[in-house]
Amino acid sequence: MNVQTVKKSADNGVNVEALLGAREALSEAPAAAQFTWRANCEWLNGVHSRSTVEGFFGLGEEQRHTRAFAIEADHPPQFAASDAGATPVEIVLSALASCLTAGVASVAQNRGIQLHSVKATVEGDMDMYGILGIDADVRNGFSAIRVNFDISADATQEEVEALVAQSQKRSAVFDIVTNPTNVNVSVA
Amino acid sequence: MTNNKNNPTTVIIGAGQSGLAMSRELTCRGVDHLIVERGRVANSWRSERWDSLKLLSPNWMNGLPGQDYDGSDHDGYMDVAELIGRFDRYAANISAPVRAETTVLSVERTGTGFRVQTDDGAIDCDTLVMANGACGIPNVPAFASELPAGMASHTPHSYKRPADLPDGRVLVVGASASGLQLAREIHASGRDVTLAVGGHLRLPRVYRGADILTWMEIIGATRIPYTEVDDIERVRRTPSLPLVADETLDLNMLQDMGVEIAGRLATIRDGRALFSGSLANVCAAADLKMNRLFAAIDEWVARSDLGDLIEPAERLASVRIPESPRLQADLLGEGYRSVVWATGYRPDFGWLRLPVFDRKGRLVHDGGVVGDGLYVMGLPYLRQRRSTFIDGVGEDANALAEHLTANLGRKLAA
Repeated sequence: MNVQTVKKSADNGVNVEALLGAREALSEAPAAAQFTWRANCEWLNGVHSRSTVEGFFGLGEEQRHTRAFAIEADHPPQFAASDAGATPVEIVLSALASCLTAGVASVAQNRGIQLHSVKATVEGDMDMYGILGIDADVRNGFSAIRVNFDISADATQEEVEALVAQSQKRSAVFDIVTNPTNVNVSVA
Repeated sequence: MTNNKNNPTTVIIGAGQSGLAMSRELTCRGVDHLIVERGRVANSWRSERWDSLKLLSPNWMNGLPGQDYDGSDHDGYMDVAELIGRFDRYAANISAPVRAETTVLSVERTGTGFRVQTDDGAIDCDTLVMANGACGIPNVPAFASELPAGMASHTPHSYKRPADLPDGRVLVVGASASGLQLAREIHASGRDVTLAVGGHLRLPRVYRGADILTWMEIIGATRIPYTEVDDIERVRRTPSLPLVADETLDLNMLQDMGVEIAGRLATIRDGRALFSGSLANVCAAADLKMNRLFAAIDEWVARSDLGDLIEPAERLASVRIPESPRLQADLLGEGYRSVVWATGYRPDFGWLRLPVFDRKGRLVHDGGVVGDGLYVMGLPYLRQRRSTFIDGVGEDANALAEHLTANLGRKLAA
């Protein structure tokens, strides 16, 4: 059987060579692959707080972003709050969308698929009886999350669906949201 | 070359299809050898299979080198008893030098050769072929120890028939060939089944009028050499082909009969099984992969000019996902009384005292050549996808026997 593959090229802005290089280097250096991400949060007023992201641990030592990032969270007027930022749950939904979108771009780059636009809408259903403590059988978090991708690319429908499927397979936030994670909260 | 019963040139460990095929190749090349087998010929088939099992490959694919299938049902799927009979006949026909009921306790290097310590004395040899199979140890997750007391726990090694299970609900973990079949037969026995579905493949038995394995052979999908596979390590770890003897069996059919599907079993905590929320993704991924195989078959048909002789393409409906798949199960509270871990296997090389393993404990080999006179057979995609098919072991045995004999001269001269 004669198998010929034409390697397409695309520029989605993802440095796939660097990622593949990192993958190869790290497979020989498991300690360097241990990362710890961080955020520091400060209460401002009411249910309004500000998280700052700057430093993280990885590749064997402390690292820093090129600058500090601030993410403010609050609740809307419907919750009698000051609406100075998105709610934490909305930030989680945007994290999921961003992680999957980054995955789509990376997988597309690796497969030589040129993207033109990628838009995701995310919805998370929540029964307020949970966080309001009205019904102990209702969970606090989302009862369901739906993500819909609208992608324009030089690819068939099946190729695009495969990008999205692969993105979920390798997404950190998708894993965080769909699988149990140990969370340890302590007090100084 | 030595010709001593306790000092053969080659020891083969395991008298299954790989070991027997290698024996024939060595005999053809005049290499004296011994097969050490902890039970009898085809031991795993005799003792580590469930009652109702039939082969998932059609009979024409189940021959051994020099002994093609010669029965009358080429397109049928033989049961295990018939396969065992064929292996017994083959072993006799090739005069396989089997030392049965002899268990290997350890293997170490000695000078340029190996010492095989068995429960019936030591055997020294110059070269060693490990043909003890890929399915020695079921991959039961560590959190299985969190299963509530009193629940029965089985793997496909220990499971024989539904009647052995307690009454009550059953959690089957894993949706590859074993999981699908066992979920079906256990549910049909009157025990409600929940099937935990992680990463898996989906295949119909028949596509465009021909068996799917026939198609895979025709388009060459089973013969791509391991050297031409991108990321062979990942491919070697992919789930098994989800085929069941003579019919299609998929998650839609299981749901039609009342089996409940849930996501991958993530862990067991405080008596509750927790399932992943990724069920839709793993099912979509399986469908996409299946459709890519169909597209490859369709391309072959289009190029072939066979036109009307082949049935038109008909795609399968995608797997239905429940509206709200369960994310947890209160095992005892909801009446679950057994778990069947259809979660795959790894080979058992615990007796091999050599530094030939990677950091995850997996044997490192190059198409079956471990190095310095040591060989392995029967592992997934050892040299090609056909490596784990019964009629695929012959090509691997031939290639490795060639390598073995070519290097023997050098070894003995050293």
